[in-house]
Amino acid sequence: MPSSQNTSQATPASLSLFSLTAPVAMGYIPLGMVFGFLFVQAGASWLMALLASIVVYAGAAQYMMIPMVAAGLPISTIALATLLINMRHIFYGLSLLDSFPRGFLLRWYTAFALTDETYSVLTTLPKDTPPRRMALLALLNQCWWVLGTLLGALIGSQAQVPLDGLDFVLCALFAVLTVEQWRARSSPLPLWTAVIAYALASALAPDHALALAILLSLIAGVAAHKGVLGSKALKKEKR
Amino acid sequence: MDNGYLLAVMLAMGAVTFGLRALPFLSAHWLRRSPVMQHLGRFLPLAIMALLLVHSASSAAREHSAGPWPELLAIVLTCLLQWRSRNPLLSIVAGTAVYVLLRNWH
Repeated sequence: MPSSQNTSQATPASLSLFSLTAPVAMGYIPLGMVFGFLFVQAGASWLMALLASIVVYAGAAQYMMIPMVAAGLPISTIALATLLINMRHIFYGLSLLDSFPRGFLLRWYTAFALTDETYSVLTTLPKDTPPRRMALLALLNQCWWVLGTLLGALIGSQAQVPLDGLDFVLCALFAVLTVEQWRARSSPLPLWTAVIAYALASALAPDHALALAILLSLIAGVAAHKGVLGSKALKKEKR
Repeated sequence: MDNGYLLAVMLAMGAVTFGLRALPFLSAHWLRRSPVMQHLGRFLPLAIMALLLVHSASSAAREHSAGPWPELLAIVLTCLLQWRSRNPLLSIVAGTAVYVLLRNWH
């Protein structure tokens, strides 16, 4: 999911939880609505949409899953795609390690709810923020996502949309996320890798192009690190 | 859609996602020291997002006979808007609106 813009400013300790999560709510409610709407239109019940946002709680992965479950892909393929799409989340916890809540429930819930947006809000909190406050903030953010999903699912189960192409929101979301990852890139190589991997995969196995392309990109990523594809750009990146 | 299948998919996705988010709290030491993981952390996000973009765009283009032009136009517009405005909601809504117009007016 795209990061919210308004969360990078210094945050006075007195700021209410609500105002801290307001920028996230502005993004999560509409984007959650889009997820709920599309998932229901793809044939899931509103309850399943709600459960997805409670149990999975990962925006881009949830969007990705819609066409995958609609095509009835194997669970292992979807799990692998989820692993790859969310791998960046490993590195969020690392930078919050010292300030994270210690209590069992607070700690593991906050870890569970560590989305891009929650991470970006948590990094702006002062060091002495009470753990309970961090966990509450994470919970409020998830509430916005779940609320949006519920609204979208309810609308989606009532309305039959006559317009072609509305599911392009998914494409547009991925375009936005690609732009944001491009902005933060240390090398252009991942983008070219993806394009070549997808061209190869759709030539070799058109029905499983995405899964195969993800696997090829993972292999290329490891290979690039090992220096097999060693280039100046990569050596710079390894610093 | 079969609810049992959906539930199994969602549980698997939830477990994988939670595992990734919780990993640093279990093995920060290993992660901080593994250069491969550090490298993949920088390499994969852009590659995966680009893959999802290409995949969803080419799937959309296969659903009609007008060629890939509506997809290309709308994606270029979305990317430009996002690059300039950094406002995801604006970029997504505008890109989708243009795409819907292109697909329904011909």
